[in-house]
Amino acid sequence: MLEVIKAGLETSVQDYPGRRGYLNLGFPWSGAMDSWSFRLANILVGNEVGTAGFECQFIGPTMRFQCSTVIAVTGADMQAKLDGVAIPMWESVAVSSGQILEMTFARTGARGYLSVAGGIDCPEFLGSLATFHKAGIGGVERGAIKVGQQIRLGDGTGTAGRRVKASARPQIATDKSWQIEVVRGPNDDWIDEPGHARFLEAQWKLSSKSDRSGFRLEGPEWSFTHKALHKLPEHGSDPANIIDQGYPVGAINLAGQTPIILVSDGPSMGGFINPYTVPQCAFWKLGQSKPSERYLFKSISVDEAQQRARDITSLCNESSII
Amino acid sequence: MAHEVELQTAGNMWKVMVKPGDQVKAGDTLFIMEVMKMEVPHEAPADGTITAVNVSEGEEGLDAGAIAVVID
Repeated sequence: MLEVIKAGLETSVQDYPGRRGYLNLGFPWSGAMDSWSFRLANILVGNEVGTAGFECQFIGPTMRFQCSTVIAVTGADMQAKLDGVAIPMWESVAVSSGQILEMTFARTGARGYLSVAGGIDCPEFLGSLATFHKAGIGGVERGAIKVGQQIRLGDGTGTAGRRVKASARPQIATDKSWQIEVVRGPNDDWIDEPGHARFLEAQWKLSSKSDRSGFRLEGPEWSFTHKALHKLPEHGSDPANIIDQGYPVGAINLAGQTPIILVSDGPSMGGFINPYTVPQCAFWKLGQSKPSERYLFKSISVDEAQQRARDITSLCNESSII
Repeated sequence: MAHEVELQTAGNMWKVMVKPGDQVKAGDTLFIMEVMKMEVPHEAPADGTITAVNVSEGEEGLDAGAIAVVID
């Protein structure tokens, strides 16, 4: 067990790859936003890569362990301390019963990951332990963790002192600027060429009105093709309206003139066009970016996106541990 | 003894409730940040007088760890 002393900012239990297979019922994938860091945290403590752990956002939690175990902290640097003594990130650390883990604000990145040997013991819903706040499913008592909760841990034995090679870790931007890969479509033919050029040349600002459902972007105006401007009335009156359709995970969903990236807890359908999609290989960057940071989008092919995702997965295994 | 109140998160400054010269009590809300559509209030760690306010409403892209308010 562990006891929550401070909850942090919407700290939640997540897993990998999340709640797959239910988009048709309106349930998003959920799961860790930076699944690269998340998977490595699990490997460090001897878990399967998908085992449930904590995603800590912007401000980390403080927890008292009521058993001895092994933990690892990866992702954003939340200055983790055990009984007041700083512990290394990207390394498995032994914890004794009674010790207090304190994580504070993210110095670099936005989301820190805490894995515990054996994982978190909470009920599965539709095949996943991942928390989806907005529907009140998954995780600990179906939401973000709260002060005073006693959280059950799984059975596991980890080994302290295992480290992730520096070359296998995601490099979190320190200059407030990210290059984010995108794939064209599915509705790219609704945007004219000047509109595409502006999208790919602009420095888009991530709004603070962003969360695990959507990342709202601020930037230049969009312009549209004949298809968007002269369409059947059932599509809707705005150029960005379309007859309701399924949304890909990572869709850059154009709500009028405001693009919103539909991220891990995003909706699975609706009536706006999606000119581009952020592929899974770039999701870790979304997960580690902060409000007002800048995105420059780079268009890549589906094949390249899939290769990049495979490259990341190839780092999320024992060969990255020293 | 001066108490420096740091920003606990990156984000935007939504509301600032104090100005230099104000008297505050421990637990009073000094300012509220906004991140991920959530309010993050910052409270006075001790009684005292506000001697510096380094943030203003509407500021965007603030970094965690910056000293926002000083109480003496």
